[in-house]
Amino acid sequence: MTAKENLFAHVAATPGAAKLDPIIVAHGIRRSFGGLTAVDVEHLEVQRHAITALIGPNGAGKSTFFNLLTGFDKPQKGEWSFNGDSLQSHSPAKVARAGMVRTFQLTKALSRMTVIENMRLGATGQGGEGFFTALVPPLWRAKEAQISVKAEELLTRFKLIDKKDDFAGELSGGQRKLLEMARALMSDPEIVMLDEPMAGVNPALTESLLKHIVELREQGVTVLFVEHDMHMVRRISQWVVVMAEGRIIAEGPPETVMLNTAVQDAYLGAHHDTDLSEDLS
Amino acid sequence: MKRSIDTRAMVRALVVFLVAAVAVTWLLSAQSTASTTESAGASSVVAAPANVSTNATNDALAAQVTGDSVVQDAETTTTAPPRQNNQLAQNIVNGVTFGLLLALASVGLSLIYGTTGLSNFAHGEQVSFGAVLTYFLATSDKVSLPLIPQEFTIGLPLIFAAIFAIMIAGGAGWLQDKFLWGPLRRKRVGVVQQMIVSIGLSLALVNLLQWWMGGRKMRLTTTIDTRHQWGPVDISNQTIMSAIIAIVCLLGVSWFLLYTRLGRATRAVSDNSSLAAASGIRVDSIVRLVWILAAALAAVGGILLALYEQATSFDAGARMLLLMFAAVTLGGLGQPFGALVGSLIIGLVVEVSTVWLPPDLKFATALGILIVVLLFRPQGILGRAQRVG
Amino acid sequence: MDFIGLLTDAGRELFAPTTAAFALAAIGLNFHFGMTGLLNMGHAGFMLLGMYGYAITVREIDKNGGQFLGLPVGPGATIVIGILVAIVLAALFGLLLGWPTLKLRGDYLAIVTIAAAEMVRFLGRSQSFKNLTGGSTGIRGTDFKGPFESLSPFPDRQVTVGPFTMHGSISTSWWLVVISWSVVAVAALLFWRLSRSPWGRVLKGVREDEDAVRSLGKNVYSYKMQALVLGGVIGALGGVLWSFGSAVAPDSMGRPTTFWIWTSLLLGGAATVLGPLLGSILFWTSLVLVKGLAAMFIPDSWLDPTELEPFSLMLVGVTLMVLVIFRPQGILGDRRELAINDR
Repeated sequence: MTAKENLFAHVAATPGAAKLDPIIVAHGIRRSFGGLTAVDVEHLEVQRHAITALIGPNGAGKSTFFNLLTGFDKPQKGEWSFNGDSLQSHSPAKVARAGMVRTFQLTKALSRMTVIENMRLGATGQGGEGFFTALVPPLWRAKEAQISVKAEELLTRFKLIDKKDDFAGELSGGQRKLLEMARALMSDPEIVMLDEPMAGVNPALTESLLKHIVELREQGVTVLFVEHDMHMVRRISQWVVVMAEGRIIAEGPPETVMLNTAVQDAYLGAHHDTDLSEDLS
Repeated sequence: MKRSIDTRAMVRALVVFLVAAVAVTWLLSAQSTASTTESAGASSVVAAPANVSTNATNDALAAQVTGDSVVQDAETTTTAPPRQNNQLAQNIVNGVTFGLLLALASVGLSLIYGTTGLSNFAHGEQVSFGAVLTYFLATSDKVSLPLIPQEFTIGLPLIFAAIFAIMIAGGAGWLQDKFLWGPLRRKRVGVVQQMIVSIGLSLALVNLLQWWMGGRKMRLTTTIDTRHQWGPVDISNQTIMSAIIAIVCLLGVSWFLLYTRLGRATRAVSDNSSLAAASGIRVDSIVRLVWILAAALAAVGGILLALYEQATSFDAGARMLLLMFAAVTLGGLGQPFGALVGSLIIGLVVEVSTVWLPPDLKFATALGILIVVLLFRPQGILGRAQRVG
Repeated sequence: MDFIGLLTDAGRELFAPTTAAFALAAIGLNFHFGMTGLLNMGHAGFMLLGMYGYAITVREIDKNGGQFLGLPVGPGATIVIGILVAIVLAALFGLLLGWPTLKLRGDYLAIVTIAAAEMVRFLGRSQSFKNLTGGSTGIRGTDFKGPFESLSPFPDRQVTVGPFTMHGSISTSWWLVVISWSVVAVAALLFWRLSRSPWGRVLKGVREDEDAVRSLGKNVYSYKMQALVLGGVIGALGGVLWSFGSAVAPDSMGRPTTFWIWTSLLLGGAATVLGPLLGSILFWTSLVLVKGLAAMFIPDSWLDPTELEPFSLMLVGVTLMVLVIFRPQGILGDRRELAINDR
């Protein structure tokens, strides 16, 4: 508990607040579609080694912001950096290689490959992925063995080891989520960005997922996740960033951020506590 | 829903095209006297009047459309320099006519794509079918059905044969949707898989047509076509008739799509079928209607093309398939008015390119345009910039 | 009822050089579609370019009195140079084709590849390039088959093995049979090796979901391009082998050819090592059998001999449809690893 509190002990609960040791710093990011501004984030810093939640009502621009940070979309304006290095015109693959790995809201388990192959694909540094090296097995067999060992460790941790030779398409929805998360860890990323990890997952599995996310932090991996489920957010996140209409409207520890009127307005509508009976008469 | 015709985009497209065409023609006007006499020599070997192609899709049949050289043969008849303008104007007229006929065939393709997502590779055969069936019903030559050893002649007047053929073609479209495409969609078979099925269907149909009618050149009418001279251009009766019928049909389709409830529903489904379904539109019925319409229009296109080119064959439509795709892609896949715009442009390109390129390359020009469009603006002229990758 | 004759004819197709050439082309397509999910509908274009590249090079060397860039070259070197030109042309075509289109959605890629292949054919058969490509008649065998045939260790006459008689060295010959199938074996081995390698794994991932693979740090565009070029080069070699058995004729490498290769691949089983071979063999033997049986059992008045070809090809079309609808994994494929995806 103490480690949790220390990191954010002196951080102001305001949008764009500076963090002790930011792993991501984003500034002036703006993305519009035609006439609609989907994202307009002035400043955001994501604290290293912590679990940060990104919440907001539907259409707030969370997923778009996610896509922008991870290179899957390009903003009209803005700059952002990872560990001090600019990620501006990086392709999604390059972003991933830099140590920022993401998962998807609609799980992308590669259905027609086996679970273990899915895992092996997540590894980096396998020279055999180059065409010419691939032709000469002795050049990559050793690394492949290492990768397989690691994959099996992760699968065991995520309780998917029994399914390792099954096709990913045969797994249940929740198991595929776990697979995607496990796969994301194969490259030892510094930060894992989870896009609505609880979406479509049955309550029984939610516990398991929550546990795994906390484990990630305990291993030193930073986590940034987008979520709708406030219970989950309150349980495991150490810091919450609230977006609405493309902007960050609040930041703060989970306990207090929901009490913020701006946040309540965003979720429930600006006049949610007005007595409507006056209008109806 | 977006407005029905993006006039701005259309005007832009036409302006760009006209400017480009005029510029290039002007630039090459010096060279072209030399090259046209050359291509005149070459084209007489190939016997290819400017608006007829020389490709065969089946290697068992080295089909050459010889056609009667009653069709304008500007390259080989006159020799004086003023012929340049003659030729350009002639090509423009030919291009517009060809474009109109292409549009008839392509609108259906675009609608099918828009409402079901299917790139229908068998659409060429819909075109051929209409023409071949009309010939079958109208000709005074002996014809027969596959497997049945009986030869006979039906010999209906052309008008009735054409109308019957169009009705039967529409019925064929209905059959296809009811027994093939509909069930596949219900089974949730992917669009890519359906596309490959359409490829198989195309193979089956083109060979069926060849089996049925053989490789012969089929003339829908044996009357001599009278030609008129309108200023720098000469044009035949059949061409005028074809153009008029095409315009009427296209106007009819446009009126249908713009002003009738069913037509608006069709455009809604073409635009966004799940939204349309959620608004209470019966998507399956609309799709069925689209297939009937597409097949019928393709048949009309095939018949008119047969009149325009003086002859048709089992692979007439197959030869047009890529041009149809080019037209539809250029105009915007799924945009029926885009198909019209695209067809006119492709038609013009195909014909006008013969001013400085040899006639046997004219289809290649159109294909080049297709590739370029996909490079720079894959959604086409009227399409919306959605993620095509 | 000459069944023996029919069976012999069909049997000949089992190992015929055309079957091998097709199998090779199908292996190339397997890299494109089976492994990577690329919808290349213009494979005949690669084959045609390979044929042209080889034949024109060899013909020109021959015209220069066996000299290449001033150096005298023997038949072996001539062949190697010809093959290199074919490979380079195919690779360039792949690069040119892939550069704009690999970012496009599946059915767009299909349309572009068909258009590009047809353009190659149009340009090849055009009168304007008659001096280079021979126009619509193409390039005669005698112009380019020489060096290959001169290397044959087989006797220079008709040789009979069992019920099959072929020439030892010229055109469709035992020599060509041996060479073609050897090349097919090497290509199949290559496919096997690569599909079980990490490189192949990335491609299979790309086939499934490009964004997922990107999110794992792989450069998807580069991988697709590699697959396109590799498969295209193999297809071009298939074209060269094909031309050894017949000639270089642009109209024999059109859309139907591409579709027949697709049918062979899907029939045998896309994404499998032996699928292309099995598919090609089945395709050609069935074609002969169907034509033969139809000729035997269907009276001439019902089915004229000239109608046999379109009749059997119509059945090919129907087969393709039925295959894709009911058994898209083909004969050897694994249903769970269905090669066809909805993208």
